[in-house]
Amino acid sequence: MKEMETEPSSQHSDTVVRVSQFVKRYKKHVAVDGVDLEVRRGEIYGLIGPDGAGKSSLMKAIAGVLTYGEGTVEVFGTLVDSERAAELVKQRIGFLPQGLGLNLYPDLSVEENIDFFARLRLVPKHELAERKARLLAMTRLDKFRERAMKDLSGGMKQKLGLICTLIHDPELAILDEPTTGVDPVSRRDFWAILAEFLQERGMTALVSTAYMDEAARFHRLSFLSNGKQLVSGTPAEVQALVPGSMVTFDAAPQPEAMARLKASYRQVEALGPRLHVFTDSTDAAQAVSQIETALGDVKPSNVRVDEPELEDVFVALLLRRAERQAADDTVSFPTTNRDYHGPAIEAKGLVRDFGPFRAVDQVTFRVEPGEIFGLLGANGAGKTTVIKMLTGIMPPTGGEGWVAGAAMKTAGDTIKERIGYMSQAFALYLDLTVVENIRLFAGIYGLDSRATEERLRWITAMAGLHGYESSQTGRLPMGVRQRLALGCALVHRPRVLFLDEPTSGVDPIGRRRFWEILSRLAREEGVAILVTTHYLTEAEHCDHLALMYAGRIVAEGSPSDMKSQVEHEAGRLLEIDTDVPGQACRQLKGAGFSGAALYGAKIHVLSRNPLEDEERLREALASDGVRVKAVSERPLSLEDVFVHRVMTLEQQERAASRETGA
Amino acid sequence: MNLSRVATVASKEWREMVRDRMFVLLAFLLPVLWMLVFGYGLVLDVEEIPVVVLDRDHSSLSRDYLYRFVTSRYFDFKGSLNDDGEVGVWLDSGKARAAIVIPEKFEERLLAGQPVSVQTLIDGTFPLRADITKGYVIAINGAFSGDLLADYVARTRGLSRKGADRLARPINLEVRYLYNEEVRSAWSTIPALVMFSLMLAPPLLTALGIVREKESGSIYNIYSATAGKVEYLAGKLAPYVLVSFVNAVVLWLLATLWFGVPFKGNVMLFLFSALLFVLTSTGIGLLVSIVVSTQIAALIVTMIIATLPTILFSGLIVPVSSLSPGAWAQAHFFPGMYFTNIARGTFLKGVGLDVLWPEVLALALYAAALRLVGYRLFTKRPRS
Repeated sequence: MKEMETEPSSQHSDTVVRVSQFVKRYKKHVAVDGVDLEVRRGEIYGLIGPDGAGKSSLMKAIAGVLTYGEGTVEVFGTLVDSERAAELVKQRIGFLPQGLGLNLYPDLSVEENIDFFARLRLVPKHELAERKARLLAMTRLDKFRERAMKDLSGGMKQKLGLICTLIHDPELAILDEPTTGVDPVSRRDFWAILAEFLQERGMTALVSTAYMDEAARFHRLSFLSNGKQLVSGTPAEVQALVPGSMVTFDAAPQPEAMARLKASYRQVEALGPRLHVFTDSTDAAQAVSQIETALGDVKPSNVRVDEPELEDVFVALLLRRAERQAADDTVSFPTTNRDYHGPAIEAKGLVRDFGPFRAVDQVTFRVEPGEIFGLLGANGAGKTTVIKMLTGIMPPTGGEGWVAGAAMKTAGDTIKERIGYMSQAFALYLDLTVVENIRLFAGIYGLDSRATEERLRWITAMAGLHGYESSQTGRLPMGVRQRLALGCALVHRPRVLFLDEPTSGVDPIGRRRFWEILSRLAREEGVAILVTTHYLTEAEHCDHLALMYAGRIVAEGSPSDMKSQVEHEAGRLLEIDTDVPGQACRQLKGAGFSGAALYGAKIHVLSRNPLEDEERLREALASDGVRVKAVSERPLSLEDVFVHRVMTLEQQERAASRETGA
Repeated sequence: MNLSRVATVASKEWREMVRDRMFVLLAFLLPVLWMLVFGYGLVLDVEEIPVVVLDRDHSSLSRDYLYRFVTSRYFDFKGSLNDDGEVGVWLDSGKARAAIVIPEKFEERLLAGQPVSVQTLIDGTFPLRADITKGYVIAINGAFSGDLLADYVARTRGLSRKGADRLARPINLEVRYLYNEEVRSAWSTIPALVMFSLMLAPPLLTALGIVREKESGSIYNIYSATAGKVEYLAGKLAPYVLVSFVNAVVLWLLATLWFGVPFKGNVMLFLFSALLFVLTSTGIGLLVSIVVSTQIAALIVTMIIATLPTILFSGLIVPVSSLSPGAWAQAHFFPGMYFTNIARGTFLKGVGLDVLWPEVLALALYAAALRLVGYRLFTKRPRS
């Protein structure tokens, strides 16, 4: 091992990874620029940031599988600066590269995959059998040992990837975006397994994610953007950097209220009918009165004040850095006469079979003009099939549907003229410039040259594309590309807009701007928007939600309705802060709180009777000598709703199949 | 080097290979297919040339002359025509590649001792074929003229037919073809096709196999593990070498049993050289896989590197000795030539290591050098 040149005093005794002034260049492009971080034994360290922030490069360099330009990377006290040095620490590291299940071998079975990784790491046979059994049981994959990896679901692939990474019992696990593309239930499962592993084995984990709402799950974290580290520390430290509060309320007319608030506040968001404002004031009453002043004669109702979430903090930090947005807020969204009557989208008993498999089962819903409707569900729940049927791409097996007044069965072409469609992949031509792309789409929809010029001006202004007109699309940042794709979908002034997973890989500011445009389209131009997503923080922006499970709609309502339904059924969310979360969590499970789960350094538990339960859990923990720092009630997130709903359904299914089996 | 790691990588690779139906198909069908397609397609013998005749003389001598074409195994007699127009039609349509036109008074003038021109029309689209056709026509014409002369000498000098023949054709050419006794081009091309198939499939499969891991990201399992480069490369390449060697045996069987090419040499020498050659060509695949990062690029680069020099400079079609000096030097740079020499040597000449040792040595050096370079270039800590 190499001698280190840093003096021992600056070295934390438990430091596992130490990165300083790290720079990684790919030819001329600087991917990571001057990052410092220190990962300590036993913690989950998070790297948060959108696509292209530099997370993967940094993690690969730490895992010793990528060279870097400047700075130092020390892992377990070894300076990783050459292939030879990297080899010294690799046995103690487990590395899971990005991409769901991509590093696994599709034609090998679950067990063969695990065995390969174990034998590559020279895990002794008897240890392998024991470890494999334990990990398979922990991930509930033991029933699928013989199944080929390619036949597993996304969540199962992710768990198998985790087992393969941990099979040699590494001291440090480096996991690159392990939760991307996985449904919320599997994501939650994943965090629970990881937390358990950390507890049991005393392992350390360095985990990256693009989901801002996962930030609170880390003990400490760094937020990266464009290769730079904006902030690092514990979630509490990060939150303390930007003191303030989030005020959420109803205000009508919404566009008017938005416009007034934007004059004084930089972070204003429309969440369905509600407005969400970040204020610098930490005092609730003061914050509300400031907002009331800004609103003037528009009166807020249903006001609620919360601590800011980490995502709000990141956005505030990004905004501090960024120039004042080039967005053209003066662009108008002209209301157009509707050329149809009745609801914008109506589905009645839609059914679609693929052979014996029923992908969509009796789906019925309605979307009014000017409404943002969210269709949620895990991969394979049937969301995309519903969209394909409504847009006339795929004939239904049964049921009826109308889009913008046209019947889906008979008027497919009329439908295509009246709708805009934007897919996950942003169907843009990457070799064309921004203007060329817009003109191309105008040509496809048969716009004449006057209309084309007019729409071109409008789209450039609306999407904030000034200055990018002659840039090649492939070189644009993801957020800009996404707004261009939206502009192209709107070129023929559609009355109904379908968005299929529209915001993957976009940074939080980009996402907020995108949603701002959507909400203005809906509120001011009266466009009806149907959006599918499994980014549940996005779903908060919708007026109305429908949750799909196994082809059926299993829950429906506005985001706040859905939350209160679950609160009613399952209880409120309590967050417990203690010195020894792992031990406390086990203790709570033993004391009857079966749903207790580790959430970063805190514990979450659902409670139907918060006051009584708080007393009970404080007693349970005190008897074990655990000091409770705080117990607080947290608002339920849509993810909590989703997970609760799906878990309940899965339990029902299991119970039903047991009955029929018996 | 830890042998259990090599075995781990090799057995994983093997399982993936045999479970991928497309791969199995490609790996075992492609070389055989190439062999069959080129074995039948790359026949350079010019035989059974379709021929038509136009006899304006209708004499016994003209019939006698034409009869020699009709019965020749080099010509395929298509019919006797009646006028010039028809000759044009037959040649234009490609139904005939040659036409023999006998002028009027053919017999009369010959018997009168006057010279006669027989018009011969040959399709010159392919110069090589036209030249060979011309050669056959000249030979048949020469034989006929010689016979006429001998007849004349016999009649005028009162000699026996045999004696007259000796006078008319004093020098008799006696040709014995060695090695390829029947001068069949198939016997010469098919051993070279074994080389061609083994030069194409193994590098392609190897390069695709490694680049696939780069593309999917599973190569990071190796990068991030403690498995050494040698362990990984040895294990990864072993199944490809095995599959390719099995192919070499299959191709040898195909050449001897199906195409009936005689094998006169030492089978062990041939198989040993084939193994060296397979190690060389998989080594080329390894190098390609290090340089490129997508499967499609691997496909294109391998096809260019493997096919062009192999077709041009390995003695498959044109003998290396008849190449221009520059091309001759290039041919010695590519490994294909050495194995072609070994294949032809063992199949047709039946020579052994005493003659072929430089070629065997060259292949061994290639196999070793390519692996060494591959090992040096492969890194578990790449730049990007």
